[in-house]
Amino acid sequence: MQAQTRNRQWPWVAIVLSLAVAFTLSMVSPADSVQGDLVRIMYVHVPAAWLAYLAFFVTFVGSVGYLITKDLRWDRIAAASAEIGVYFTGLAIALGMIWAKPTWGVWWTWDARLTLTAIMFFVYLGYLALRRTTDDPVVRAGRSSVLGVLGALQIPLVHFSVVWWRTLHQPPSLVRPDGPAIQDPLMLTALIVGVLAFTVVYGSLMVKRIELIKLDDRKVAIEQSIERPVAGEAVTVPDLGASS
Amino acid sequence: MIPDTSSGGGGSPTTGGDPLVKLDGVGVRIGSTQILRDVDLEISAGEVVGLFGANGAGKTTALRLMATLIRPSQGTGTVLGADLTSQERYDVRRRIGMIGHTPGIFPELTLGENLRYAARVAGVPPERADEALVAVGLGGAIDRRAGASSHGMQRRTEFARELMIDRSLLLLDEPHSALDRDAVDLVEGLIARTAEEGGAVVVVSHDRDRINKIASRSVEIQGGTLS
Amino acid sequence: MTTGFWHQAAAVVHRDLLRERRRGDVLWITIPFGAIALLLVPLAVGTDAILLRQIGPGMYWVIVMLFGVLVSVGKASNETLPQQDASALLGLDPASGFVGRATSATLLLLIFEMVVGVVAVGLYDISIIGIPWLIVTLIIVAIGLALLGTLTGSIVNSTSAGTALVPLLVAPLSVPLLLGATQSYEGLRLGHSILSWVLLMVAVVLIVAIIGVLTARPLQEM
Repeated sequence: MQAQTRNRQWPWVAIVLSLAVAFTLSMVSPADSVQGDLVRIMYVHVPAAWLAYLAFFVTFVGSVGYLITKDLRWDRIAAASAEIGVYFTGLAIALGMIWAKPTWGVWWTWDARLTLTAIMFFVYLGYLALRRTTDDPVVRAGRSSVLGVLGALQIPLVHFSVVWWRTLHQPPSLVRPDGPAIQDPLMLTALIVGVLAFTVVYGSLMVKRIELIKLDDRKVAIEQSIERPVAGEAVTVPDLGASS
Repeated sequence: MIPDTSSGGGGSPTTGGDPLVKLDGVGVRIGSTQILRDVDLEISAGEVVGLFGANGAGKTTALRLMATLIRPSQGTGTVLGADLTSQERYDVRRRIGMIGHTPGIFPELTLGENLRYAARVAGVPPERADEALVAVGLGGAIDRRAGASSHGMQRRTEFARELMIDRSLLLLDEPHSALDRDAVDLVEGLIARTAEEGGAVVVVSHDRDRINKIASRSVEIQGGTLS
Repeated sequence: MTTGFWHQAAAVVHRDLLRERRRGDVLWITIPFGAIALLLVPLAVGTDAILLRQIGPGMYWVIVMLFGVLVSVGKASNETLPQQDASALLGLDPASGFVGRATSATLLLLIFEMVVGVVAVGLYDISIIGIPWLIVTLIIVAIGLALLGTLTGSIVNSTSAGTALVPLLVAPLSVPLLLGATQSYEGLRLGHSILSWVLLMVAVVLIVAIIGVLTARPLQEM
């Protein structure tokens, strides 16, 4: 029992610990020479954006996995990851807007990466909307897997849009042909730790969410195994006398 | 005009002793609703089976199952030798004819165009389309829009389609509805010919007397299963 | 893909184009709707010629993307279950059906693009530059949108939301086509190479086409 309780708690412990470390580092890292303390939003915004891409990539993998194996476990992974991805995409966009207002003077710039991230948000909202329209787990898995694969087309486009269009938005902070833009080692460390911390958060949330989806599926399976009257038994012999 | 069922295509004989339809403990669940349960059924070549049951009993679902259009949720089954859960069922669909409650034709197209489309997809010479329409007594309505035709004419068009294409299994849902006496003779002629040529026919109907005259046996759906 | 595959696809194209010719949904409803949308924009943003020349090409492509959905969804989802069953029992390969429906949607979208394009050129005084590449762009966008609409129509077929969900699904997925089309026009206007944008759009088309063909059977079974 104690081991079970520890097993259930470890994701939360991992989340708290990793976020604590990330928060500490982000607070002790130096302020930016131009943006000052405002730059600290980066330590949440960038990891949230990274998580959005990771989550949607995992949705893609889960979708492909289901289409190949027809094993519902892959679909659970895809669905859980899409839900988490939508949340972190929303967070990245919101934080981006909060960062943009003092930096650029506007909440929204129609900058390519921001806009395409918003588009990605809607693609996966559509994915979740599609899942809500289908009760049958197998049908739901099949249809949303196809959409999950299609939606993944967006991810490379979002990333390379900045390179292609050379817009207002920062060039990619870490993944650039000529190395990361951040030169201060402590800032870079804080950012990388933040990314790792959010990845731990993602993993922990995935574990819990998949657990919940499994419980939901088990509930559905139990309900379906209960012998119920078939649909036709609801139709009986008419009795006109009953209405008089 | 009395339709002439001697022209047009006919059912293709299926040789061998294996049943054309074999269902073992088959159940069908759609969403969370169980429609059929523990269905055991064998239909052999040459049989005409009447399928009866109350409204909502699952007769149409049973037909669509035998047409390989839905998969069993439980149990196993084969139709024309194809496993109902495998890709094989795509290979046999061309040999299964089904005429349901609602016509599966396109109202924007003429009766002739509907049938020529069916001929092209099924790999049948398009000229057989017009021949089949003549055979069912619609020779004068080939260029009439399906949407502007009566329900009975649309049904005759569907029968023309089944005349045109070689079928080993014919599934008919209330085939006599909306048909005049001549067309009823057409239906029964088609049923008889399919059975004679080694195919099988399953007829869903509420008109037990009429079906029992032509059926080799009848089954009842009750409680989601067959008796 | 055998000769029978293409033969069946051609039969579906013929069927769908005949149906459209008789129904006139695209010609009498969708095209006028797109044209009205182009007319409404200047009423809302201003009628300054310089402004309209600037926003015109983009507005045109947005109208194509949003209203193109209506063209391709209409073709993909307006088969009733009995019609689908009948086609299936003719031995129609679901992949053939997909290719056929997408092809007829492409042809209708091309007509839509051309007619609405004429309206856009007139209302917004858009310059027509680089005609060969423009035609290539129009064709690729038509194919891409048709494929997206046909595929998502199959995905939502017989769900509780039905066709209402399709625009929500298609619109964000059509963004690569929108960006490719608008940036191609900009590139032509500025005399830059647009090959990368064309290749981007072709990549989208190929990916959606492959996914559509490979998933045609599994989607029909659901």
